[in-house]
Amino acid sequence: MSTHFRQDMPPVGGFEAVRYKRNLPLRGPSGLAILGGVTALCAYGFYRVGMGNIEKRELQREKIWSRIHLVPLLLAEGDRDAYRRERAALAREQEIMKDVKDWEVGKSVYNNPRYRSPEWIVVL
Amino acid sequence: MNSFHPGESSSHPFREPAPLPSSIPKVNELGATSAPLKSAAFFIGAYCKEFNEDFMLCKAENRDPAHCLKEGRRVTRCATDLISKMRENCLQQFEAHWNCLELNNQEYPPCRKPERVLNKCMFEKLGLVKSIPGTTPGQTPIHEVENPLYGRMQK
Repeated sequence: MSTHFRQDMPPVGGFEAVRYKRNLPLRGPSGLAILGGVTALCAYGFYRVGMGNIEKRELQREKIWSRIHLVPLLLAEGDRDAYRRERAALAREQEIMKDVKDWEVGKSVYNNPRYRSPEWIVVL
Repeated sequence: MNSFHPGESSSHPFREPAPLPSSIPKVNELGATSAPLKSAAFFIGAYCKEFNEDFMLCKAENRDPAHCLKEGRRVTRCATDLISKMRENCLQQFEAHWNCLELNNQEYPPCRKPERVLNKCMFEKLGLVKSIPGTTPGQTPIHEVENPLYGRMQK
């Protein structure tokens, strides 16, 4: 007996053409625009950084000068106190060493007339 | 009898009880804390310029504290004079500015508003101008810039 075969055939009119061609539509801003935009943004940012650096330098200078103006005042006050403590230390030394012959009170251990602040204090 | 105490392990700091010798004329110490001093710094610099420079030149001659006591007294008297004048003439503005400095880490930029009021008062009453030495000529001094980049974070 014969069997009825039905051959699988292409649709009427043939298959559609296979789309193998590259298809990348252009979307959004162009590369040149993005590059330009980023460059402009960076340029503005660096401009701000530069202005900020100039301003920071000026603020630093202002701070330094405010301190420089106060130096003589604070130094004078500290000097009076240092003088007072040095006198007291010399008087104390004289009192302690009064029995030692040829002792020179407050004599520097260096052979140099330059002033040196005391290296140590006596805590009583 | 005194016994030896090593200074580094002392429980209290050493205070020298002896007063200044009577041969040195008395001068009252200024006694202002850091914020009022910072607020008044540029006016001290302007008002006491000659005394300050004299004192610093004297210190350059010799670092001995005994060498510049006279100049030092002049510096302190001048600063005391200026602070009392400021308090007489611009007390409110002065206090507003140094209180602002106290609250803002003792930095000038966050306190431009009270500072400008104080500068204006000092110029009108005492004729003293805040000027930062070494500012480029023609450039706005930093304390007079209208819209600075650095300032308070909170407006």
